[in-house]
Amino acid sequence: MADSNEKGSSSLLIIILDTNPVWWGRKKASDEQFSLSHCVDCISVLANSHLMLAHKNKLAVIAAHTDNSVFLYPQYPGKKAEAVKLPDDGQYEVFGQVEGQLRAQLKKLIMQDKEQIDEMYDVPEQPSDSLIAGAMAVALCYAHRLEKECPIGEALSTRLLVIKGSEDCPSQYMNFMNAVFTSQKQNIIIDACILDKDSGLLQQACDITGGMYLKIPQLQGLLQYLMWVFLPDPSTRTKMALPPRAQVDYRAACFCHRNLIDIGYVCSVCLSIYCTFSPICSTCQTTFKILGPQKLKRKKKS
Amino acid sequence: MAAEEDDKGYRWETEYEKTWEELREDESGSLQASVDSILHRAKKRQLLERVTNVRLGMMRHLYLVIDTSSAMSDQDLKPWRLKASTKLLECFVEEYFDQNPISQLGLLFSQNKRAEKITELGGNPRRHISALQELPSRACEGEFSLQNSLDLALQHLRHMPSHASREVLIVMGSLTTCDPGDVRESIKAMSEANIRCSVIGLSAEVRVCKNLCQQTGGSYNVILDEAHFKDLLLSQVTPPPSSASTESSLIKMGFPHHSLASYKDDKEKPSMCMCHLDSQSSQGFSTSGYFCPQCKSKYCELPVECKACSLTLVSAPHLARSYHHLFPPEAYKEILTSDILIDGPICCYACHSEIVDPHVYVCDKCEQKFCLDCDLFTHETLHSCPGCASVRSLQNVQATASVN
Repeated sequence: MADSNEKGSSSLLIIILDTNPVWWGRKKASDEQFSLSHCVDCISVLANSHLMLAHKNKLAVIAAHTDNSVFLYPQYPGKKAEAVKLPDDGQYEVFGQVEGQLRAQLKKLIMQDKEQIDEMYDVPEQPSDSLIAGAMAVALCYAHRLEKECPIGEALSTRLLVIKGSEDCPSQYMNFMNAVFTSQKQNIIIDACILDKDSGLLQQACDITGGMYLKIPQLQGLLQYLMWVFLPDPSTRTKMALPPRAQVDYRAACFCHRNLIDIGYVCSVCLSIYCTFSPICSTCQTTFKILGPQKLKRKKKS
Repeated sequence: MAAEEDDKGYRWETEYEKTWEELREDESGSLQASVDSILHRAKKRQLLERVTNVRLGMMRHLYLVIDTSSAMSDQDLKPWRLKASTKLLECFVEEYFDQNPISQLGLLFSQNKRAEKITELGGNPRRHISALQELPSRACEGEFSLQNSLDLALQHLRHMPSHASREVLIVMGSLTTCDPGDVRESIKAMSEANIRCSVIGLSAEVRVCKNLCQQTGGSYNVILDEAHFKDLLLSQVTPPPSSASTESSLIKMGFPHHSLASYKDDKEKPSMCMCHLDSQSSQGFSTSGYFCPQCKSKYCELPVECKACSLTLVSAPHLARSYHHLFPPEAYKEILTSDILIDGPICCYACHSEIVDPHVYVCDKCEQKFCLDCDLFTHETLHSCPGCASVRSLQNVQATASVN
């Protein structure tokens, strides 16, 4: 934290909150005393603490919904901020704004969903995974703009914090990986705070970008985990005793059966992965020359 | 010869252009607006130039030939040509391996009428970069030899597997070439071996180079200044369309486990990794590393070809890094701000700012609006549309598109 106090450097924290209604609904229904509003409370405490660390620190909160990515904070510049009632007890105005806007925007998002469902006759089953990659792409664009707007001589260090409960969405793999490689290139760290099942995708993302991956063992203590593990910036983290890095599985899944494989065959044209040799690539329809056995024999001899 | 078929004539044969008239001052006397619009047009052209639906040579084997003849000691590029070139080439090598993680690169240089090898074909960027850094300490002397360089590259590339894309990139400062025989024979041999040759000239156009590039399907460019040099180099980073005669095949690859050093596991004995076997230091001696799934030899980094069983070892993210070449996002449509019937300011979907430009960029699929900066950023760096990535129905479209 000493670094962020130095002149001319500020840090941007982008929080991506998974607001999947199915997952949060199930969580509420289960016995655990944990709800979205509790989570939002924790996040606003984290957000305010981040803003408090240095005057120049910036914040953005993005909701990754089932079918959309929405900025919860800051608000769209065009619309005049709906007058959020500021507390008159001497609290720093921005803190009040952050909390008020988070709640107001989230409420709007949920009400929109409700309206949509009310309009439909038979409600289709809602997907139980959120489009995290979309929110990450939006976050990277936002970070890119702020970095451009940053006055010369000032450094802006950015990190992403993904707070996720729902499952991984396998069809997002490509978008997700693109976002991860972009953040690696831009020196943006991705942290992940997992509320439920382990996420293979985010494990890889954190490992590639050098962020923290943590599966919260006890949801009741979410705030404490957020404050201890995810609030300190990367330069401070090296001095702290944090949970050790988990082993990341980098094995690939074959395109034909979605099994994780150790040895596979890769199409030279489209890089699809197969677990057995097949004469035609099902992705790009290329027919392959059959050279397998002969070539192998020669290799073994040499 | 093919040169006559080139419909584009020389610049000096075309109509007189008054390039300075394109720059116009706005009310406040600033040139910024017109400079911006020129940049923007250049960007648009770049996007349109990109050919889609072409089979790309994803596994590239590229030999980089660097001219170190006396012509490279010229000081038109600061501090001198060779130094400036190596600096840019370092950047190229890094970018090359970032974008083509399963490709290989080798370095050659040519001086004193001879061509010599600096580094073997390999996938380790650090080795090439350190070799490049040592290069400027070499004296630039003698003549450049095109034929010797080509022959040397051919010798090494000939044995590469047929599914790989074989390429040669020559950075040439000299205007002459000193060859032992008929250079046209070598050019013919290159085109027969299906090796794509590209040349970046540092001084002026040379006919033999133009011929070479035309016959082998490469590109020939002469730099205008250092910035243009960099652009030309970076344009070589994206994989080129593969020629029809490139065979396709399924390549056996291993996806090794990464095992971390963990103090709990006492059974695990530390071992030496295969990449540091020859080094004298204790580097590479630990319990962690990547183990080849076929023969269990250990490596400390990927991608690598297993020295024991010659299996290519990669990790899934390495392959994923190349996918964006195959499935690039579609270019956005340009729309005038005044054509959009919305009250109030228009907001960029991605960066959350008000669009003040006269143009807005709209994605055909998700119909979200973007500003120019985000358009460039998503197409050049991010490679996926933030709007489409946030809409579930378009996820499926993308998934099926990648299957078709």
